[in-house]
Amino acid sequence: MNEILTQEKSIYLQISEMIENDILRGILLEEERVPSTNELAKLYAINPATAAKGVNILVEQGILYKKRGIGMFVAEGAKEMILKSRRSAFYDSFIRKLLEEAASIGLGKEEVIAMIREGEPKGSDEV
Amino acid sequence: METLVCSNIAKKYGEKEVLKDVNLTLEKGKIYGLIGRNGAGKTTLLSILSAQNPASTGEVLWNGEPVWENQRALNHICFSRELTPQPNGSTAGMKVRDYLRAASFYYPGWDAQMAKELLEKFELDPKKKLVKLSKGMLSMVTIIVAMASKADFTFLDEPVAGLDVVMREYFYRRLIEEYTQTNRTFVISTHIIEEAAEVFEEVIIVKHGEILLKENTAELVGRTFRVSGLAETVDEAVKGLETHLPEQIGRSKGVTVCLREGETLPGDSGLTVQPVNLQNVFVALCGEEQL
Repeated sequence: MNEILTQEKSIYLQISEMIENDILRGILLEEERVPSTNELAKLYAINPATAAKGVNILVEQGILYKKRGIGMFVAEGAKEMILKSRRSAFYDSFIRKLLEEAASIGLGKEEVIAMIREGEPKGSDEV
Repeated sequence: METLVCSNIAKKYGEKEVLKDVNLTLEKGKIYGLIGRNGAGKTTLLSILSAQNPASTGEVLWNGEPVWENQRALNHICFSRELTPQPNGSTAGMKVRDYLRAASFYYPGWDAQMAKELLEKFELDPKKKLVKLSKGMLSMVTIIVAMASKADFTFLDEPVAGLDVVMREYFYRRLIEEYTQTNRTFVISTHIIEEAAEVFEEVIIVKHGEILLKENTAELVGRTFRVSGLAETVDEAVKGLETHLPEQIGRSKGVTVCLREGETLPGDSGLTVQPVNLQNVFVALCGEEQL
């Protein structure tokens, strides 16, 4: 949650991704309150409406839920939901780009696969 | 090589110490960014470097010669001050034209053609009185003086204050053009850091009357990172490193790290490590007390 915002994508998307990442990394636990829209707005010096937009994406997906008068909470099973959607997006977000770059520099699929096999499984004990 | 060197400069106004033991070497052919909070001592430093203001102690040397009351040295140095004409002050009745003419007498290398061209580009009316100009227009006048002075060492104090974004971009482009053609040295102070970051070869950060650092801009930015993640993991990873601006929300923590020579951040630790920009670096180094 304490990342700095970049110019590369919309702020509200960065907000929702940061919350997701914190849930994946166990920084935010299920059934735990997440920072309020106003807290987020203050932390990043952004308009509260933008922070709310980022939070609402996660509410719509059922990753966060609202307890009236108390705030936003991480839903039970949130981590599993995020894992599922990130896994299904993995091909489009990573593999496609990887293969495109490999093709443009003349690396064949077999060579890429060999590299993956040799590569250290960095951070594989995380998640 | 041509240099402007200040050694052990201190400046006191009464009891107030505005500059403390400043040592600085400016080389010919570089664009320096001078950044610091309000009241850090930027303007005082520039006024002493250009002998418009005596230092309490210390010396400024141009190619080894003291600059103080030395016209030969001062012919090569221009400090185009921020203009703040007062209705009853010395520049009260002065028109833009008069101010530029006065500057043309002062700087032996004065480029009247360039002054004219910039006046037109800025759409400034030379017959207008200084007191009638807006803040942005006054900035334009100081830019014209600085550029047309052709001085080897040219200092601009907040040249873009009050300028609209198009004019700010024009200024930096024109500056780069002049720089590549002449290899003059420019020192530019600004509070709008990020849009100038790519222009500054080196950045000089002034904090509480001292030079906090003078470093190649890309190197400074390149050794600074924002590290965030689980608070204990972050604390473990940055142990012994120079850290600034810690922020914590729940179990999540972020901290800005300036790596020193030979230091690295641990990889594979489940942390997010992000590059920062010059403005982030500046806020981390100079904004800690406020934020």
